[in-house]
Amino acid sequence: MLNKKINVMVLTCSMLAGLTFASVANAHPRWVLPSHFTISKEGGDWLSFDVTASHGVFVFDKPAGSETAQIIMPDGRKQRPDFVLRGKRRSVFDFHFSEQGTHKVQINNQAGYFTSFKAGHRDTPKRLRANKIDRVALLPKEPRDVVTTETYTRVESYITVGKPSEKAFELEGKYLELLPITHPSDIVADEPVRLQLYFNGEAQAGVKVDITREGTLYRNHQEQIDVVSDEQGFVTFTPNVAGRYLLKAEHSGDLINNPLADRMSASVHFTFEAVLP
Amino acid sequence: MKINKLYKGVWGVVLVLLSSISVVMPSVAKPVPSSAYMDIELILPNVVTSIYARPYVAVWIADTEGKSVRTIQLWVGKDEWLKDLRSWWRKVGRNDRAVVDAVTSATRPAGKYRFSWDGLDEQGERVEQGQYTFYVEVVREHGGRNYLRQKLQLEEQSFTHRLEPTQETGQITINYNVE
Repeated sequence: MLNKKINVMVLTCSMLAGLTFASVANAHPRWVLPSHFTISKEGGDWLSFDVTASHGVFVFDKPAGSETAQIIMPDGRKQRPDFVLRGKRRSVFDFHFSEQGTHKVQINNQAGYFTSFKAGHRDTPKRLRANKIDRVALLPKEPRDVVTTETYTRVESYITVGKPSEKAFELEGKYLELLPITHPSDIVADEPVRLQLYFNGEAQAGVKVDITREGTLYRNHQEQIDVVSDEQGFVTFTPNVAGRYLLKAEHSGDLINNPLADRMSASVHFTFEAVLP
Repeated sequence: MKINKLYKGVWGVVLVLLSSISVVMPSVAKPVPSSAYMDIELILPNVVTSIYARPYVAVWIADTEGKSVRTIQLWVGKDEWLKDLRSWWRKVGRNDRAVVDAVTSATRPAGKYRFSWDGLDEQGERVEQGQYTFYVEVVREHGGRNYLRQKLQLEEQSFTHRLEPTQETGQITINYNVE
C-alpha cells in the first residue's frame, strides 16, 4: 500500500517536472569551427578556429569572443590559444598542435542569467539580464510570471594528432556535458555515432539533441537529425553524408533553493566532421 | 552384456571426441605457403585538368576485421598530406608511425607500376591462410579520390583479380601465385 503511494507520488512528480521542462531555444547558437580536425604532420601543425553565433550552420554572424578558449591537451592539462582576434562577425584563434593524441578545444563562457516576466496592461513578455538578486532593483511594479534562468553553454570540438587518445574526454561534473563513446576522429559517414550526455556529473535521460550538417544556406530544408538521450544518457545517430556537423544538446529544469535562479538551461554545442568511408 | 554396453559407451565418447576434433581442425592456423607471393600491377591514368598534382596512393591488406596486416605501398610527398588518404590514415597510418616511416616513398606520375607482396605482415611473420581484403586509396590534390576494395582468399590456390578503372585509377591486376 505504502509502496503504491510512493510510486504514484514519483510518477506525479516526474510528470510535473516533465511539464516544466521546456526548451529555451538559442536565438543565435554559439559554435566553433576548426580549420581541420586531423593532423598527420610530424612535429605538429597550426590550426585556425572560427568562433561565432549564427542561425545557419556554419555561417559567420555574431562576434562571439574567443578570450575564454582553452585547449585540453592529450594529457589533460589546459593551454591558451596562441593568437586571438575579434572581428565584427566572428572571432578567430590559432593554436600549434604538436602533442600526439586527442585535444579538446572548448570556449565556455561564465554562467549567465536572464529574467523573463510579463508587465503592463497587455501582459507584454519582457527580458532582463539579471539574476534573482539583481532583478529586485530592475523589475517594474507588479511584474507577473517572473522566472530567472541560469544559462551555460559549452562550445567544443576535438582535434587529433596522430594516434587518437581519450584523456581529454574527462568530464568536469558540471552543467550539461557530452562524453564521446564513438571517438570523434572515428565518425564516418553512414556509420552510427554513439555519445553520452551527463548533467552535473550524472548520466542524463531525456536530453534533446539535434545534429545539422553544414551548408543550411544552400538547401531548402535543415535536414536535421533529432534524438533524445535514453535512460543511461546515450544517443545514437547516423550522419549519412560526409561533412562538418553541429550538434546541439540542451537540457533544462527547475532549480530548488538556488539563490540566483529558478531554472537552469544548459547546452553543449559540439562541432565534428564525418569523414568519407 | 554389461562389458559390451560399457564398450559401446566408450566408443560413443571417442566418436564424439573425434567429430569435435574434425570440426575444430579446419580453423587451426596455417600460414600461407612460403612460395606464395602477390604481384600487383597498378596504372595511374593520365588526367588532363587545369591544376594537376601527382596523386597520393596507399595500397594495403587487411584482415576480415579491417585490421591492417601490411601497407604495401605509400606514395606521399610530405607527411602533412598523409591524412588526405582518409581511410588509410584512419585505419592504418595514425596508429603506427613506424609503418609510415618504413614504407613511405615519393609520389609518381601517370604510368604503369608493378610491385609485389611477400605474404608477410608488418612484423615479418607469414600471414595465416584465410580471407583478407586488398585496399587501394588514391587521392589527388585539386582532384578526386577513389577507394577500391577486393576480397582475397589467401590459401594454396593461385588466382587473378582485375579491378576496373575508376577516375583516379587505371586497371589494377592482382596476381596471387603459389608455386
